[in-house]
Amino acid sequence: MILYDYILSPSCYKVRLLASLLGVKLELRAVDFHPGREHKGDELLALNPAGSIPILVDGEDVLTESAAILSYIAAKHGQNWLATSDAGEVGAQQQWLSFSHRLTSALGGARLVEMLHFPGDLAALQEAGIAALRELEAALFARRLTGQTFLVGDRITIADIACFPYVALAPDGSVSLDPYASIRIWMRAIRAQPRFIEMPGIHRLHELAPDPLAGDA
Amino acid sequence: MSDQAMRDAWFPVGLLSGLTRAGTASMLMGEDITVGLDDTGAPSVDCGGRKLPTVERFGHLWTSLGAPEKDLFTIPEADHPERTLVDVGVVRVKCSPLRAVENFLDIAHFPFVHTDILGEEDHPEVNNYKVEVRKDEDEVWATKVEFYQPQAAASAGGGIITEYMYRVPAPTCSVLYKTCPPRPGEWDVICLFVQPLTEELCDVWPWMALFDDTSTITDLIHFQQLIFLQDRSILENQIPKKLPLDPALETPTRADLTSVAYRRWLKRHDYTYGAQLVAE
Amino acid sequence: MQADERTQWVPAAVSTDILDGTVVPAALPTGPIAVWRTASGELHANGDRCPHRGMRLSHGFVRGNSLSCIYHGWRYGRDGGCEHIPAHPGLEPPKSINCGPLPVAEANGVVWVAAQAPEEAPAEIEGFEALKSMLFCATPAAIAEAAGGALKTELGGTPAHLVTAERTPSETFVVALVPTGTDVASKLAAATALEALRRVTESAT
Repeated sequence: MILYDYILSPSCYKVRLLASLLGVKLELRAVDFHPGREHKGDELLALNPAGSIPILVDGEDVLTESAAILSYIAAKHGQNWLATSDAGEVGAQQQWLSFSHRLTSALGGARLVEMLHFPGDLAALQEAGIAALRELEAALFARRLTGQTFLVGDRITIADIACFPYVALAPDGSVSLDPYASIRIWMRAIRAQPRFIEMPGIHRLHELAPDPLAGDA
Repeated sequence: MSDQAMRDAWFPVGLLSGLTRAGTASMLMGEDITVGLDDTGAPSVDCGGRKLPTVERFGHLWTSLGAPEKDLFTIPEADHPERTLVDVGVVRVKCSPLRAVENFLDIAHFPFVHTDILGEEDHPEVNNYKVEVRKDEDEVWATKVEFYQPQAAASAGGGIITEYMYRVPAPTCSVLYKTCPPRPGEWDVICLFVQPLTEELCDVWPWMALFDDTSTITDLIHFQQLIFLQDRSILENQIPKKLPLDPALETPTRADLTSVAYRRWLKRHDYTYGAQLVAE
Repeated sequence: MQADERTQWVPAAVSTDILDGTVVPAALPTGPIAVWRTASGELHANGDRCPHRGMRLSHGFVRGNSLSCIYHGWRYGRDGGCEHIPAHPGLEPPKSINCGPLPVAEANGVVWVAAQAPEEAPAEIEGFEALKSMLFCATPAAIAEAAGGALKTELGGTPAHLVTAERTPSETFVVALVPTGTDVASKLAAATALEALRRVTESAT
């Protein structure tokens, strides 16, 4: 599987993260998104007329929507990262995959304005981002009340991976995460997964590595 | 406090390759500027109807709000024809421009912020190195800086002891000379050019002149963006936002000698835009 | 801030929102703070600023009984004293390096922090426990008014107390308390009602 990738793209990171968590090897092809705008060049437009990344190419299959790519990789390599056939799970998974697009446009939009000089109405993007974070916080709090940590079913799924990056990077668009206790606990549970990988702005949990001083204690 | 000393300094305001006739609205030390090309196609910076002086160097357009006494510094090593020159592009950071430079001069954070790339927690020690202000050039220099790095550059195959030299030739610019894995004896040149938009907001323009025959330009850009964006989440969470020049407010150690020299040099030259002189 | 305000307990977090071995951001009127639990669950609070380079300690990490800064890994103990500086592994950090420990207490499942040690423990509200915290973009007075004139109210049919702390002139930290032993469905209804209260309060502001 070839991933057309940009190191600072949270949507590309979703794909890299899921692949890493599942132990799936991706062949990465770096795209000069900023400052080169390579995703708007002829070669990549031929592959994806929408002019966006990530793009996943697997033999004949070409996918250009991150939620679709997550579903595809999980279907091939990690069935338990998808909803079961239970209607409640199917609905919840689809709900959160759709919700992740709101995170992308609001928090991701604010991030591009604040960080990389993209045009946009920053105040409106931040307000929409805060509204989405409040919804997510309320939903995760409700999940905690029933003893659950993740968004769907009783385990981590692609719904969590789809929502995690833009939430974790909200501060890049000057939207604070400090008020959201349940989101903090959920993000920590994702970061604590075996084979978790980081991206700039999302640090690993150093405490999970062996303490270099432990020998002295 | 007067900002005149900083107003007379040179600052980067755009990539030469990105200038347009339409111009781009930007800021310099709190003043609105427009950066672009004039009717003749020459680079130009306008500040409220006033034409600012310009210099084209290192792939960037440079300007000043005042009357610079000195020409913009040079980097002779970067002129070598076999070097790959890399415009990394701009990243905006909500921090003092001086904090951004100070972070670039610091190696002790590598194991925690650039884990498994520029440093690792099992090798955190910073050995003694040499810091001086070179009188003739009036520049801060740190030399013989050594650090263990798991993946020192895009082209590095594994862990090595890397040697660094740091140079501060202007209040918001730093040049790093670094062991070059493919060419023993030569130095890679990695620069951090910072445009102060306000005292607590800056645009950072990293730029590199490397010997690297194996990596693509995109790989090189991504490696530098990866590193710098890891720093960004630190820089936006330091309190206070301005760089404290009062020694009582923060606690340096031996590893911070470059930063100590940089802060003293800033203070002596009244380069205090983005600095906090006394505890608030 | 007046001296008597410094010795007042301020609600900073819900106890169950701070997992063992983690640190969270909070605030006092004096500024931001970091509240953390050791790996075994002991609660601590200190200024949210590493004395080295000013980095927020709430972005750091907890190992055993110490809180480490994410920037350079400086390690602080339960008394706030610096225990270790990774860049100089052989150096015993001077006693003067301290991240400013703060008095901290738990009552009703709420974590209370003060700038200076208050004379008494935080006042208990008999029979109630913390449900959820929420940041309102409103003043404490506006919240009380929207809740029916008092912070003792009801949420979704369940009796409730609201504990508040003004964080900025336009933001208030709120913890809703409900009777101990409230069932899950009623808790959910109370949390939903708290969201509604926030909407009403913020649209009135």
